Amino acid sequence: MTGAVSQVLRAVRTDARSLLAAGVLVGAWELLPRQGVLNPAYFPPASRVAAVLAEGLSAGELGPHVAATVARLVVAFLLAALPGLLVGVATGLSETVRRVLDPYVALLYPIPKVALLPLMLILFGVGERAFVLTGALTAFFQIAVNTMDGLRQVDPTLVEVGRNYGASGFRLFWKVVLPAALPGILTGLRLGLGLTLVTVVAVEFAIAKSGLGHVVWSSWQTLTTPRMYAAFVAVGLLGLVLTRGLKRLQDRLLAWQTSVDVW
Amino acid sequence: MGSAPRTPSWLHPVALSGGSVVLLVGLWEWASGTGWLREAFFPRPSSVSAQFHAMVRDGTLTGHLEATLSRVGWAFLVAALPGVAVGLMMGVWRAAREALDPLFAFVYPIPSVLFLPLAAFVLGRGEAARVLTSAVTSFFLVAANTMAGVRQLDRGILEAAVHYGATGSRLFFKVLLPGALPWIFTGLRLGLGFALIVVVAVEMVGAEQGLGSLLWLSWQTLKVRDMYVTLLVIGFLGLVATYGLEWLRQRLLPWQPKVEVRR
Repeated sequence: MTGAVSQVLRAVRTDARSLLAAGVLVGAWELLPRQGVLNPAYFPPASRVAAVLAEGLSAGELGPHVAATVARLVVAFLLAALPGLLVGVATGLSETVRRVLDPYVALLYPIPKVALLPLMLILFGVGERAFVLTGALTAFFQIAVNTMDGLRQVDPTLVEVGRNYGASGFRLFWKVVLPAALPGILTGLRLGLGLTLVTVVAVEFAIAKSGLGHVVWSSWQTLTTPRMYAAFVAVGLLGLVLTRGLKRLQDRLLAWQTSVDVW
Repeated sequence: MGSAPRTPSWLHPVALSGGSVVLLVGLWEWASGTGWLREAFFPRPSSVSAQFHAMVRDGTLTGHLEATLSRVGWAFLVAALPGVAVGLMMGVWRAAREALDPLFAFVYPIPSVLFLPLAAFVLGRGEAARVLTSAVTSFFLVAANTMAGVRQLDRGILEAAVHYGATGSRLFFKVLLPGALPWIFTGLRLGLGFALIVVVAVEMVGAEQGLGSLLWLSWQTLKVRDMYVTLLVIGFLGLVATYGLEWLRQRLLPWQPKVEVRR
C-alpha cells in the first residue's frame, strides 16, 4: 500500500519537475526577447508565436500546410510499408535471398534518403510523385531492415518447440515466428514513420511549394519570423506525437515485452 | 534461425552476393546500351565509372568531398563532446534528467535542416551555421544513448563498487564510464550517420561546395552521370560511417556485445 502511494507521489513529482522545467524554458523564451536580451526580430516572444500559430490554424493559413505535410507522410508510409515488410520477411527467412539483396541494402541503407531527391526529380519531374517517393524510400529501408533483424533474432528454441508440437510451414510462421518477431517489426514501422517525417520536411524545405518545411523556408527568406517559429512548433508537435505517442502505443500492444527505453 | 532453409553448399555466400551485383550491373549496362533503359535517366555503369575517373582527375570531386568531410567532422565533434557530457549528467542526476526531458522530447524529432534559419540568425549565414545545424540531432542521439548506458548499469555492480570504497571520480571513471561505453559508442555511430545526412541536406539547400551542392547542381544542369557518381560517393561515406565505427568498437571493446538501441 505504502509502495503504491510512494509510487504515485514519485510520478507526480517527476511530472511536476518536467512541467517546471518546460515552464522555465517557455518563460525564458517570452522574457528574453521582451527585455531585449534577444533580438525580437529574430526571436519573437513565445506568446507571439503561439498567437500566430493559433491564428494560422484557425484562419486556415497554416492548416493546408499541416495537411500537405501529413498527407505526404501518410502516402509515403503506406507506399513503403507493404514492400518493406515483404522484403524484410523474405530476407529474414531465407539466407539465400538475404545474400542476394545484402549488397544493395548495405550500400543504400546508409545513404541519406534526401540525397535521392535529385534523382527522383530527374525521373519524375518536380512534383508530388518525386516528393512522396523520396519519403517512401526512407520508410522502406527502415522497415525492411528492422523486419529482417526482428525475424533473425527469433529464439531458435521457440521454433524448435513449435516444431516439436507439430507446427510447420505457414502455421509455424504465423503462430510462432511472427509473434516473436513482432517487436522488431513494430519498431521498424515506428522508426520508419518518424524518419519519413524528417525526409518529407527536408524535401519541402528544399523544393516543395507547400507543407510545413516550405513554410519555414519561405518565412525565413521573407523574415516573417513569427510564422517561421509557428511552423517550427507545429513540426515539433507532430514529431512528438509520432515518437512518444507511437512508442506508448507499441508498449501497450506488446505489454509482455520489456523494452529498453532511450527516451 | 532454425526454420531458415540452408543455402546449398555449392553456393558460397560471397559468390551469391557478388554474383548478384555482377548480374545487376551487367544487366543495367546491357539494357541501357540497347535502349531498354533510357540513358538520360539510367546511364551505363561503364560511363558512370568513366565520369568518376574524370571527376577525380580534374579535382572537382575531391574539392567537394573535402568540404563535406570537414563539415561532417566538425559537426560530429560539436555534437559528441557535449552530448557525452550531458548524457552522463542526465544518467547520474535525476533532477537534470527530468528537467531536460521535455526539451529532448520536443526538439529531438524536429528535422535538423529546419534549424538552419535559427543557426543563421545566431551565427550569420556561413560555415558555422551549417555545422551547428548538422550537429543538433547528433547531439541528442549521443546524449540519449549515453544516458541510457548509465541507467542500464547493473545496480549490483554499482553497490559492490561503493561497498569496496569507490566514490566520486573513482566510481565515475572506473565503474560508470566503462559500463556505459558500449552505449556511448552506439550513440556516436548513430550520431555520425545523422551528421552526414544533415550535412548533405544542408548543402543541397545552401552551400557552394560539398557533395550535397554537387548533387543539387547536377540536377539543375541535368548532368545525370555526375549525380550517380556523387550518390555513389555519398553511399560509400555512409557505409564507412556506419560500419567503420562498429569495427572500431569491436577493436576497442572486444569484451562487449553490440548493443542495439531501439528508439
